[in-house]
Amino acid sequence: MTSRRWVTVAILMMVVVPALAGTMKEARADVTTDCEFLEISAKAGGKPAIDAELSPVEKKLKKPPFSTWNQFKLLSRSQKSLVKKKAEPVSLKIGAATATLVEIVDKSKVRLTVTMDDEKGKQVANNTTTVEAGDYVIYVHGLANNDGHLLSLTCK
Amino acid sequence: MSEPADARSDLALMEYADGEIDGQIDGQPGGQPDGQINEETADAVVAARLARDPDARVKVAAIKQIGELVRGHLELSADAVHDAKFAAMWRRIDDQLEQPATGLWARVSRWFDRYRGHVITGAVSAGAVAALALILRPSTPDPGIPGRNAAAIDVRPVALRATPEIDSLDTPGGSSTVINLDDEDGHTTVIWLTPADTVEGI
Repeated sequence: MTSRRWVTVAILMMVVVPALAGTMKEARADVTTDCEFLEISAKAGGKPAIDAELSPVEKKLKKPPFSTWNQFKLLSRSQKSLVKKKAEPVSLKIGAATATLVEIVDKSKVRLTVTMDDEKGKQVANNTTTVEAGDYVIYVHGLANNDGHLLSLTCK
Repeated sequence: MSEPADARSDLALMEYADGEIDGQIDGQPGGQPDGQINEETADAVVAARLARDPDARVKVAAIKQIGELVRGHLELSADAVHDAKFAAMWRRIDDQLEQPATGLWARVSRWFDRYRGHVITGAVSAGAVAALALILRPSTPDPGIPGRNAAAIDVRPVALRATPEIDSLDTPGGSSTVINLDDEDGHTTVIWLTPADTVEGI
């Protein structure tokens, strides 16, 4: 092959490869879900109190098994766009967590893997759940003095 | 007059007719110190020769006619050459006269000038392939890869939602309890994690 033909091939590759890569990237980027994480501290006290930012889950928190406590405080709130097969760290005030979108099922459900570590860095949960968009999963981790550490998540 | 003398005389007449006379004519010096005759003397000598020699006058007239013929032929030949050839010749000459550009941009421009055809061919081909790739890209979800291209997730009405499924649950060093709650907002799955020391304490 002459050098001029190599020039033509090189130009062809320079244009085609990024175009195809962009197409594939776009196809991959399609598989995402937006999830909201609420980190909540729960205590039993004299006067019931629920932070206003917890309104999405307020009714749930007033029912068993959460009625063990009557004071709920929002520790942190995160909105994450989860990409398929990519573990997304969720920053928490107490410990740490990650969330991974395994797949989207039947266009209305998400299969998620969530891990939670306590404040010492020790993993306390590694869970994969399939849940409908709009429904909630709440992890409850008991702390000292019967306090609770909650992590609520919902995806759309 | 001898034969060589006639030849010299004719040569001098030719030079006179062409305006190139710069020497002696008919052996008559023009009075210059270096033996050369001046222009006025030469004109006078030639005029005198032409006045007394009819053959010389005929020869001068013939030489002038031949000169006109040759000049006319050359001019016609020059007109016959195609303008594009002249333009190409001038371009080559200009290229040789121009200083070679040394800047990066000039080199890039030269490169594109040289490979303009290949660049256009490559770009057109690449555009065609990219267009094909976009057109032929699968637009429906691939059944082999669940969830692929599922850009938007449908939030179904609460009544139609399925119960959450726990696919796996690992609680290192502790235990867990799963509670499903249903209300008008949908399902809530509570995963209650109990540390091992708490379990032991119960």
